[in-house]
Amino acid sequence: MTSLVSARNVSKTFGNLRAVDDVSFDIEKGRIMGLIGPNGAGKTTLLKAVLGLTDCEGSLSVLGLDPFRQRRELMQNICFIADVAVLPRWIKIHQLLDFMDSVHPNFSRERAEDLLKKTDIQRQSKVRELSKGMVTQLHLSIITAIDAKLLVLDEPTIGLDIIFRKEFYGNLLNDYFDEERTIIITTHQVEEIENLLTDVMFINHGKIVLDATMDAIPDTYVELLASGENAAKASQFNPIYEREVFGKKVLTFEGVDRTSLAGLGEIRTPDVADLFVAKVKGEAA
Amino acid sequence: MMRTQLALLQRELWEHRSVFVVPVVVAVITLLTSWTGQVTIGEIEHLDMGIVGASNMPENVRAAALSFTMVGLSVSFIIAMWILTIFYALDALYAERKDRSILFWRSIPVTDFETVLSKLLTALLVIPLVTFVVIVATQLLVLLSLTVQIDFRGGSPLELIWSAAPFLDTWAATIVLLITLPLWLSPFIGWFLFVSAFTNRSPLLIAAMPIVLLPMFEKLFFDSAIMAEAFFVRSIKFPLFTGVDNMALLMQETDDLAALAEAELSVFGLLDLGSFLASPQLWLGIVVCGLFSAAAIYVRRYRDES
Repeated sequence: MTSLVSARNVSKTFGNLRAVDDVSFDIEKGRIMGLIGPNGAGKTTLLKAVLGLTDCEGSLSVLGLDPFRQRRELMQNICFIADVAVLPRWIKIHQLLDFMDSVHPNFSRERAEDLLKKTDIQRQSKVRELSKGMVTQLHLSIITAIDAKLLVLDEPTIGLDIIFRKEFYGNLLNDYFDEERTIIITTHQVEEIENLLTDVMFINHGKIVLDATMDAIPDTYVELLASGENAAKASQFNPIYEREVFGKKVLTFEGVDRTSLAGLGEIRTPDVADLFVAKVKGEAA
Repeated sequence: MMRTQLALLQRELWEHRSVFVVPVVVAVITLLTSWTGQVTIGEIEHLDMGIVGASNMPENVRAAALSFTMVGLSVSFIIAMWILTIFYALDALYAERKDRSILFWRSIPVTDFETVLSKLLTALLVIPLVTFVVIVATQLLVLLSLTVQIDFRGGSPLELIWSAAPFLDTWAATIVLLITLPLWLSPFIGWFLFVSAFTNRSPLLIAAMPIVLLPMFEKLFFDSAIMAEAFFVRSIKFPLFTGVDNMALLMQETDDLAALAEAELSVFGLLDLGSFLASPQLWLGIVVCGLFSAAAIYVRRYRDES
């Protein structure tokens, strides 16, 4: 059994820019992978390669298919929300359901209707008449009604208020996700999805900086809050990153045993956002 | 495959409502003009003379007169159809990029080939068929209102119109004309689709520029007019009308109808389908259309939409 997504030495170049630079990774079935990186890091390019929207060098296989060359077959088992605003604005909801029903072999109209019943969205409305939050609800309902093995979300909640964002992720977990399905998600609002991820991948300047399961993070990474002499002592353990908070130092360590830091200050596991900053900034330093 | 293609064609009709709206607007204008005309004629009692005149015509002349009335009604539809087709083709692959919905369209299991094919079929087939239906409806409505007028004035509409009008002949000619015209002009349609696939702004301007500028440059630098002739001939010389001076045909006076009727000419008989299909320029045009469409598919597939 091979991985759901398998990338070996994948690169994508635009002119002189290596947007994705020799990247290798695997994503297994039933995982929720957070793909995190600063703007222009190559996240979207990598997702596009996975979705078969762009060609790339190296070998990339998604569900055992070559995404660029077998895009039609791939799209029967994969779905994506690129951003909230991509549903055609002129389409009526019932037209959208009719269309999906005709072209998508794995779309269940009943399921979509059931999901939409829970919302205020009217069949006769056009997408342009809906609020941004409702368009997202609609898109997620459509996607959830597709029996797909892989769901790719690229900044799915950008521009939405906190209530819709919470609801979106709640519905994603309750209605869509199960052990047969896999999700890849990118977002800037890492804090909001941190506890639903099973895996996390950091990408910077087209390269993977970190590829780990969320369970493995506490074993490898530790954050120490210390001041004065203790901070100086802790510095000997080669922190990957240091920052100051309220006059105290926060040091992030990789592969340092927690017991050796004991007594130097408050020890905790860094959250994903802090770890990301540590890895990206630490690399640059 | 078939189901997908039908859904894609349906999508085009949802998105581009002008495919219906334009012919219906032309129909409304035509009907209003015709009805007000009939009312005025009715008032000055010319219709009575018309009825008398028509009643005294030989049957074949009456048929020819009705036939040319029906053809005359469709001229404005055909002009409107071509304008509609130009704007449709220029918008077909441009609108979905402008509103970013292409990201949604590409997230479903439909190939770029199938999508571009649906747009080409809409321009070549769906628009002509919709136009045909509206033309027939308009003709029937005009004849129906004439029927009421004639009946009101004691004429026999059954004799003067319904048994006299060569419906099948006229409709066969109309549908052939509506289908062959876009085929003849298909290199332009292909070019417009290609422009709408690659340009990021003003598709109309970008599409028109080479059509206007290339012949000018050719004249300027090579002092030849191959391109001007190719574009011009393509627009004017339609081989379906070979052997018929089509302009003169449109200008027929009522007197000459008798001559046409004598010769037992049917409108359908005026169309030279044989020499149309045998014209190498037709097939060359279809090849050019195919090449531009292939280019449009390539651009839609390979360009990066971000």
